[in-house]
Amino acid sequence: MRGYTRLGLGLLVAMALLAVVGPWIAGSPYSQPNLLRDALLPPSGAHWFGTDQFARDVFARLAWGARNSLAVATIAVAVATTVGAIVGLAAGGRDGILGGMLRRLIDVGLALPRIIVLLVLIAAIGRLSTLQLALVIGLTGWPGIARLVRGETLRLRNAPYVIAARALGARPARVLWHDIFPGTLAPVLVAATLGIADAILLEAGLSFIGLGLPLPEPSWGGMMLEAREVLGRAPWLLFFPAAALVTATSAATLLGDALRRTLQPDSR
Amino acid sequence: MTGWLLRRGADALLTALLAAVALVALVHALPGDPLAAVLGEHSATPEQLAALTARWGTDRALLPKLADYFTALARGDLGFSMTRDIPVTSVLLERLGPTLLLGSLTLLIDFTLGLALGLWAALHPDSWRARALGAVTIVGYAIPSFVAGMLLVWLFGIRLAWLPVAGFRDVLLPIDSGTAAVFLDHLRHLILPVATMVIATIAVPLRQQRAAALTVVAAPWVRAARARGVSPAAIAWRHCWRPALTPIVTLFGLWLPMLVAGAVFIEGLFSWPGLGSLIAEATTTRDVPLVVGAGLLLVAAVQIGSLLADVLYRVVDPAQRTP
Repeated sequence: MRGYTRLGLGLLVAMALLAVVGPWIAGSPYSQPNLLRDALLPPSGAHWFGTDQFARDVFARLAWGARNSLAVATIAVAVATTVGAIVGLAAGGRDGILGGMLRRLIDVGLALPRIIVLLVLIAAIGRLSTLQLALVIGLTGWPGIARLVRGETLRLRNAPYVIAARALGARPARVLWHDIFPGTLAPVLVAATLGIADAILLEAGLSFIGLGLPLPEPSWGGMMLEAREVLGRAPWLLFFPAAALVTATSAATLLGDALRRTLQPDSR
Repeated sequence: MTGWLLRRGADALLTALLAAVALVALVHALPGDPLAAVLGEHSATPEQLAALTARWGTDRALLPKLADYFTALARGDLGFSMTRDIPVTSVLLERLGPTLLLGSLTLLIDFTLGLALGLWAALHPDSWRARALGAVTIVGYAIPSFVAGMLLVWLFGIRLAWLPVAGFRDVLLPIDSGTAAVFLDHLRHLILPVATMVIATIAVPLRQQRAAALTVVAAPWVRAARARGVSPAAIAWRHCWRPALTPIVTLFGLWLPMLVAGAVFIEGLFSWPGLGSLIAEATTTRDVPLVVGAGLLLVAAVQIGSLLADVLYRVVDPAQRTP
């Protein structure tokens, strides 16, 4: 196991611990024991990561934020992968009008920058709940996966074992599902792992410009947004969520690269 | 070449058009009442509400609305902003300049400094400086744009207090200041936003150039040139840079969407009066016509950029030209 893989796994375990066990140790992310006495305390034994301007414990908000961030990213990637795989398989497996239309659909999806679609959706729908945010981040992420799956499907369509299955009389749908789909899983798994980093970033970025999870819901982006107001006096309000964000996205990127090396040794 | 160009252009145009239709249709097909959102706390009598509904056409069917929108778009009309009550196009024009300034400066630095550093790293693969550069690039790539921006604001704007952290110019600057003073003031306001954008985007051209140049450095003609005693500078410039340029051109299509996303997240942080902060503000106030107008403009920019990259690729790489 290479050093980077080990680092990625380590960071992932740290993040998972923060998200699963953290909230349980840290208590409520909303509690404000004493607004006058406890606001903007630097890190100490009582408040490991200090407190914010509303006297809330930064560690508690970080831990609950990790839970939100990872939940949103996981749901989003699951949605994006499912939709992308279905569209990609159909686009690659079908010739004629349906295949052509689906290919065009993927091109159109790729032509729309993800952040633009998200902003348009949020403007049209209004405030999103955590689950809705996860769904729309997922629904804007499918075109990349679909392009990948379509390419793999086209490549596998003429593989000897697929031709053999067809010659034995298997129906097209069965060939697509039983013979071609499993062959596309390795690159999809790599892309999904890397996609987790994108989803985490989008959620944090949207929350940072005040359009993601509504405050006071804890999220790393929202914490950084609130840190702006008191940055001069309390820089730790920026440092901790920033470190958490970089840790989480780096873990996903490092693991994605490790998976790519293992599952697709022939890719660059 | 001409035939290919026409085909590729028509294909890009069709994709862009379909993308525009998809974006506009998405807005109108979704649940949610933009009128109620824009009104917010303000109360309206039933008559006023009826008049507003008639004016904005919020109760009309999807297809006629779409048809009207695109007929108007063909005339260069993107409708009215719901919160500002002025044409969307005039808002966009006002905000275009600052974003173009920020984007072109980032482009200039990314594709000069980034490419030079990438080439240099490939020519000295074992030096400690190249290793350090590689590590710095990975860290820069891992840090999201807005996090980098916040850290820069904290360090240079607050801790060291060297640079202004917000806006396009100093509002306290005397009105009769000379041209040089105004220019310097603009420059000082540009440093942090541009630095943030560069940090967020430079890793892509740098790493790609390094990878491309690494394969070129090992090429037989480079060894032959070295054996002939050609100077290292000439090898770098004439024998490595040109062939390593080809893969870079395609990058542009990847780089532009990064720039757009960066602008959305960063411009607000620096109160930069550009398109990125505009679309974020308009989303917050749920000014749907403005969000859609700004979104369409950015989508068009990305499409034109990727088409341009494709064309340039053919120009730079002669092997692509044979059909």
